[in-house]
Amino acid sequence: MPLREQRDVKEIEGVLNRILSTASPPVARCRLLSSGFGESYALNVEQDIRGHKECLGCGNCIDACPFLFREPSRRDKTEQRTSMALETIVGADCDECDACVLACPQVDTTIKNYVVNHRMIEVMSKLEQRIGDEDEPDLDLLVEEALS
Amino acid sequence: MDFEIPEELKMVQSMVREFVTDQLKPLERVVLGRAADLSDAQMYLPLEKERELMGMVKDMGLWGVSIPEELGGVGLSTLGNCLVEEELAQTVVPFDFGDVTPILFDCNQRQQETYFMPVLNRQKYPYLALMEPEKEASEIEKLEVKAEKANGGYVLNGKKVSLSRAAEDYFAVVFATTNLEKPLREGVSCFLVDKGAPGFSVSGGGGKTGWQARVRQAISLIFDHCQVPVGNMLGEEGKAFYLARKWLPLRRIIRGARCIGAGQRVLDECTIQAKTWTSFGQMISGRPSIQAALADIATNIHAARLMVYEAAWKADQGELIRREAAMVKLFATQMLHSVADNAAHIFNAPAYVGGLPMERFCRNAIATSATNFALQLQRNIIARDILKGLKV
Repeated sequence: MPLREQRDVKEIEGVLNRILSTASPPVARCRLLSSGFGESYALNVEQDIRGHKECLGCGNCIDACPFLFREPSRRDKTEQRTSMALETIVGADCDECDACVLACPQVDTTIKNYVVNHRMIEVMSKLEQRIGDEDEPDLDLLVEEALS
Repeated sequence: MDFEIPEELKMVQSMVREFVTDQLKPLERVVLGRAADLSDAQMYLPLEKERELMGMVKDMGLWGVSIPEELGGVGLSTLGNCLVEEELAQTVVPFDFGDVTPILFDCNQRQQETYFMPVLNRQKYPYLALMEPEKEASEIEKLEVKAEKANGGYVLNGKKVSLSRAAEDYFAVVFATTNLEKPLREGVSCFLVDKGAPGFSVSGGGGKTGWQARVRQAISLIFDHCQVPVGNMLGEEGKAFYLARKWLPLRRIIRGARCIGAGQRVLDECTIQAKTWTSFGQMISGRPSIQAALADIATNIHAARLMVYEAAWKADQGELIRREAAMVKLFATQMLHSVADNAAHIFNAPAYVGGLPMERFCRNAIATSATNFALQLQRNIIARDILKGLKV
């Protein structure tokens, strides 16, 4: 639950773009760029944690990751459901879809708005490329012909 | 929505069914072997018998059912082809109605006379040389056979492997890299190499009887500075992977129809077994588990048949069938495996008694579905088609 005064993206646009363009789950670094816990958190702790930026371990980012959906066996590498676990098990195989950033409760809404308005369209074209080109020949058809 | 098969296709279906019942099924023993040790089993029918059968099919006007009319075939619709293949797949006798690989549909006028027509009339056999030794099917993008321009033609070097039928008179359809700098899918060309061309030699394949007749023998093709004239290039330079793009997806549906045919024959054999076999003084057809297995087989076949017919109908309407064709292949292949599993349940054991059609059908069913890589590719094609809907 971020603070009411959230991070102005203009201040961090350069570094944020760099983070979002790196092939690694960006959620943890986006969380660190955010404003941290606000006043109305519901965690049962005595300490005042306003402004703290730790990962809650809610696992939303792990559940949102399309790469882990395709390769669920990677989830077996750890029982942790933190952003650090996500970075470790996905690493450079990241699709750069930014779904983890949008799923994280600790990332500022300003950053999420920036991701949706300025990054998603670029990301979709990149994903489309990864999914494949319709005009590409289906080599399997030729293999089938050779084997049948 | 009309689920009725058109009258003219019903007529074709009934002609083929009669032909399979009267002419092909009695020859199953020739293929499977009559000797106790099956040492006389054969991969193909004797040549004279094939010629006789071919004459009969020509008289029926059905030779070349899958070949377009402009290339001298019957030009039957995809649905018609599926019906024909479904019937032909109900026997283990390897015989087709003038099937020619669609890769050769792209022959030019001269190539049609020299290569295509002799193949259609079974005077020559093509050795489809796409795969290379010690390479997985998934690695065909990394072709090592190269074709370099020289003396107004091309010089081929390298080794290929073909699973085509070995024959006396043949030619090779070779996929070779012509341009290493271009992306792989634009740098591969296809060549027609005649038997006896200097630098072209062939070994292996063919002539096997007995248990070896069950397994197709690979043919090794060696190209050692083999000179090929420019006129023997099939299609455009660098566009070999784009050959027969219009036809190959349809073949996927037609192969689905073959799975239905094989499954139907297994069901027929299972029904006979269930009706005639007794255990503990009772016909096994009375046992609920046997009935359940029969019901599962029939349901699977019915589902696959509807999928195949619908995809074939769509193709005949000129619709894009990429997704449907992939679904047909995925489902029909798995369906046949499941049918073979259920058949083992009814036969009280895997159909392992060599020399019976059931054994051959089940063996083929398991072998077909063992190609997990191919099935995974179909899943990718289907997923790709679904994900297109997520465009921003």
